[in-house]
Amino acid sequence: MKVLVDGAAAPLEAAAAAAARLLEQAHMPLIAGLGTDVEGTRAAIALAERLRGAYDHMHSEFLLRDIDVMRQAGQFVTTPNEARVRADCVVLIGANLTAAWPDMLARLDLANPARFDDEHKPRKIFWLGPSRGEAAAAGAKEIAAASSELPGLLSALRAGVAGHKRRPDAAIDRMLADVAAELKAARFGVVIWSGESVGRLTIEMIYGLLLDLNKTTRFSGLPVSPGANVMGVAQTSGWMTGFPMRTGFGRGYPEHDTWRFEANRMVEAGEADAALWISAYGNEAPRWKRQVPFIAITTPDTRFAYPPKVRIDVGTPGIDHNAVVYAQNLGTLAAIDAENASDALQVAAVVRLIDQSLNENLTKGEGAC
Amino acid sequence: MLIRLSGGRVIDPANGRDGIGDIWIRDDRIVEPVAGESPDMVYDITGKIVMAGAIDIHSHIAGGNVNTARLLLPENHRAHTARPAATPLSTAGWSTFETGCRYAAMGYTTVIEPAVPPHLALHSHLELADIPIIDKGTLSVLGNDDFLLGLIRDNAGPAAIADYVGATVGATKGIGIKCINAGAAMAFKHNVRSFALDDIVPEYNLSSRTIVEALQQAVLDLGIPHPLHLHTNNLGIGGNVETAIATIAAARGKPLHLAHLQFYSYGKEGKRGFSSAAAELAEAVNANPNVTVDVGQVMFRQTVTISMDVLRQFNAMGTASPKKSVIYDGDANGGGIVPFNYRSNNFYNAVQWASGLELFLLITDPMRVFFSTDHPNGAPYTTYPDLFALIMSREARASWLADLPAAAVEMTTLPSLTREYSFYDIATMTRVAPAKLLGLRDRGHLGPGALADVAIYHDDPDRAAMFRFAHLVFKDGDLVIRDGRVTHYRFGRALKVSPTYDSAIDRRLSRYYDELYGISHEMFKVPASALGRENPFGEVACGR
Repeated sequence: MKVLVDGAAAPLEAAAAAAARLLEQAHMPLIAGLGTDVEGTRAAIALAERLRGAYDHMHSEFLLRDIDVMRQAGQFVTTPNEARVRADCVVLIGANLTAAWPDMLARLDLANPARFDDEHKPRKIFWLGPSRGEAAAAGAKEIAAASSELPGLLSALRAGVAGHKRRPDAAIDRMLADVAAELKAARFGVVIWSGESVGRLTIEMIYGLLLDLNKTTRFSGLPVSPGANVMGVAQTSGWMTGFPMRTGFGRGYPEHDTWRFEANRMVEAGEADAALWISAYGNEAPRWKRQVPFIAITTPDTRFAYPPKVRIDVGTPGIDHNAVVYAQNLGTLAAIDAENASDALQVAAVVRLIDQSLNENLTKGEGAC
Repeated sequence: MLIRLSGGRVIDPANGRDGIGDIWIRDDRIVEPVAGESPDMVYDITGKIVMAGAIDIHSHIAGGNVNTARLLLPENHRAHTARPAATPLSTAGWSTFETGCRYAAMGYTTVIEPAVPPHLALHSHLELADIPIIDKGTLSVLGNDDFLLGLIRDNAGPAAIADYVGATVGATKGIGIKCINAGAAMAFKHNVRSFALDDIVPEYNLSSRTIVEALQQAVLDLGIPHPLHLHTNNLGIGGNVETAIATIAAARGKPLHLAHLQFYSYGKEGKRGFSSAAAELAEAVNANPNVTVDVGQVMFRQTVTISMDVLRQFNAMGTASPKKSVIYDGDANGGGIVPFNYRSNNFYNAVQWASGLELFLLITDPMRVFFSTDHPNGAPYTTYPDLFALIMSREARASWLADLPAAAVEMTTLPSLTREYSFYDIATMTRVAPAKLLGLRDRGHLGPGALADVAIYHDDPDRAAMFRFAHLVFKDGDLVIRDGRVTHYRFGRALKVSPTYDSAIDRRLSRYYDELYGISHEMFKVPASALGRENPFGEVACGR
């Protein structure tokens, strides 16, 4: 576990003080990466507010696909528990779902009939656009498609469900007609996707499909969250500021803008003049090219394109220390115990130390009141 | 620290007090007047109104559905931004931090979040932990879960049901039990689209009535002070007054709290088949002293409805304004988030507004009718001051009524009601009664030994202005509000009950989760250490 200032080993307090100097002198400090647990998020957002900075998460792009569709059209979702015990029909959409949610097949017990399905028959399982071998592993009927084909495929499926006319000569349409019929015959179906592998258009079409199916039967959605606790960060951000990440405090109150506060854009455009990069889940480094001075609170193996001004190694939530994180297996926040408890530093403690090291007279946040 | 609040008009119905006098605070408690000792601080509050800190028994301030509503409606936050104080995140509109600031500014010191699904309890408590100043509490929601329905179906008996209810409220750190459209969320999963008191849940062969009776009895058996908190069937539908009256009858004299009664006070009169039946309903409440209610007042403005009545919210999607909704088929209950704009020129909304006020004015005992807008369902809690003004002044009501559609006004008795709430009535309804209903002996009054939660208001003839920004508010004896502004943060506790039950049910639940869901029941736990606050919980005694 390293604590470095300008590449040289330093006491933690000195590193926090150096980090504080960098951040408080910046015109627009940025907190990015944000791969941390709920407690780390609480500390980071509080620091961002005090600094009148902005914050983003490394996987915002993926999660915001779901959130963007939700706030333009809405959302129809269920839980892993309900999918497991009730879904007689399961539609998986997009590639790499088993990578995004390694426990998925076992957790949902797709190989067995749903316990609460009234008819207790084997589940009907379809997979649109899986990675190689994924559909077979899930016992699903595969409908091969590239990611870019998914919106069109889903719109054809939705048209089939709604009984709209389609081209009867196309083989794909015939196959989709069969799928549409199975979906309409489902008693409680579940559609599963991840914003990591499908785009907004696909998600929007899924939502429309769910609305249509619910006119006559029951169907719900189960989005798979991208990694690094991005859903936990979004939820925490939601209750602390009212908004998800990509929020800034430059005017003394939180403003949310998915373009303006996108971390990489802020750095590349020269808007952010200092950054705090947090990645406690893996050795993710910042991807921006412009060399903005930054502080890194990361796991020990992280390699950077250029050296951070301050580097503080931390442990991983749920492995080195107890943590509250979004648990995909539950569909909500859970308190998890350390798998292999260590004395590695925690993100929240480091961020709070930086916060405490800021100039006491820093009044950036008070001007608005 | 010894504090003397000197010369205010003390309104403390629990102790039969309404007159000029002093209040003495030592540390976090109210004490007898102290002779021969100089107070460390004296506040001259001559001409001010002094009450205990207010208690809100029903306000959706935290949890997954509330947070989803925030994320669903970023466009609404600008309207919420009030920037009341120079404290962390206090400029964040519609946030946990703002919630604590705005409630405290109105003199509220305890608020109950009434809809916490057991599986989402940790999330709810995390949000509550970030609400500054006020104490909180949660009601754990049961009534649509397979385990409970299975116990009732299999005739497991009242003891087993009480054990399960006790285990759940204990594990989720709740202060009581709520039931929301009993059986309907489960029925909806079987594609049922409407659900009344005697409708049957498919696969379980149980009526809503049966589920409610079982939960009501379990709460009594466990000695949980707060009676079953019930959101009954057929919310929002013309003619549903019959459902509400049938539900009151179904309580059979046992304690029952009916939530947001206004949404059940509708008749079917008139050409639109929608009228206020509040008078009839108030009569039923008056005649049944075992029943308490909160109103769920509607106020005219943009808001968002957040309810774990997933069936009702699904059916309401067509009314969404703006047109976007979230429907959540959760473990057991789930819920729905549907934005809604109550408009004063809308016939139905005007009838709703009037019927809520009729309930306030026609239910005679202020110990049994509670102040709520079912935040944010009828309106945000920030409209409370306007609502206080309405029930305190017939003139204020008349001026509002003049702007409403005449056809709607004809469907209510409101114009004929002359009652005006006094300060004493307000203090009874918002302080004494909720403390009693929740079993909180340490608050709701200003007698010696009470927690020093004190709200001091300017006696402003503009009652809305008066109640919007208190002059001074003390929480646990600590001055937290001065002239409507937060002076500093402190973090309150979540009040919980820990009823005794046979722990064999925990082992049974553990097996049930392992076998049915393939996960540990422990994953839904709410450890105090996860909440990031010192002493996050406060205990409320149970007793049979």
